[in-house]
Amino acid sequence: MNKINFKSSSAQHIYDDYMRRVDKCIALLGEADKTELVMELNSHIYEAMAKDANGNEVDCLLEVIAGLGVPEEFLKPLVAGKKLDQAVRSFNPKHVFQAISLNLRSGFIFSFFGLLYLFLFSFILLIVAKIFFPANTGLFFRGNSFSAFGFITGTDGLTEVLGYWLIPLSIITALFCYTCITLLLRLKRKR
Amino acid sequence: MNEEFIHKWKSQVKKGILELVVLNILSKGDYYGYELIEEIMKYTSIDIAEGTLYPLLIRLKENNLVTSKWVEQESGIPRKYYTIAPAGSEVLSEMKSYWDGLNSSIQKIK
Repeated sequence: MNKINFKSSSAQHIYDDYMRRVDKCIALLGEADKTELVMELNSHIYEAMAKDANGNEVDCLLEVIAGLGVPEEFLKPLVAGKKLDQAVRSFNPKHVFQAISLNLRSGFIFSFFGLLYLFLFSFILLIVAKIFFPANTGLFFRGNSFSAFGFITGTDGLTEVLGYWLIPLSIITALFCYTCITLLLRLKRKR
Repeated sequence: MNEEFIHKWKSQVKKGILELVVLNILSKGDYYGYELIEEIMKYTSIDIAEGTLYPLLIRLKENNLVTSKWVEQESGIPRKYYTIAPAGSEVLSEMKSYWDGLNSSIQKIK
């Protein structure tokens, strides 16, 4: 992309800084989307500046940028939406996590997804804990009554009943959570 | 008068009709982004943050309502021209008839 060259170094600095902020805001998008958006905003700035070619460059640029708005605000919904599309298309955990975190403020449903994701990671952590601390991790009973599930430090008087079955059970639960999150995300995107 | 309430309401109405305004302008001809904003300002009193128009155009494009193409310029900074797609014309016609219906209903209440 051809950057705009300004006569004034202050204007150049303001422009470079604005475009850097745009780049930062859209860093999570795919390369093609990023290029397209940056070129579009660059073209907008160039055309707007060309309308007032005889005016003060800095003043004119500041006006154009103010007109465009704060990139962190006007680009956020776009990035969140695009990430959601990417997540529901790819099933990639990284994209799913990013989509949930970017959309957390877009309503209760995304907080619910966030909780499901937390639940999913808890089961993954539980598998790791079972491998390294087998006696402290699992489903614990005191006599015939349920006492605890997960990782605990004091196990006196408690019986762990699942043994290493906890690992496949945790894998199945984590996979179930992940499938639920992705399918619900897909459903949410369609509505 | 509750100025804040009126301001919020106006802002919501403007946001809601922006797609209709953009498609309507594009039905008259092809425009590049900056030019399109100038047209919006010329025909309506909608004072939008200009940056919000680009995500909207991307959304319209993703829904196959508009198409776009980059056209090289002597300056070396290309312009992206938007054209209304056949599906966009159909949607626009639907939106217009809904808008007219809504308007006439409000007139009856008045």
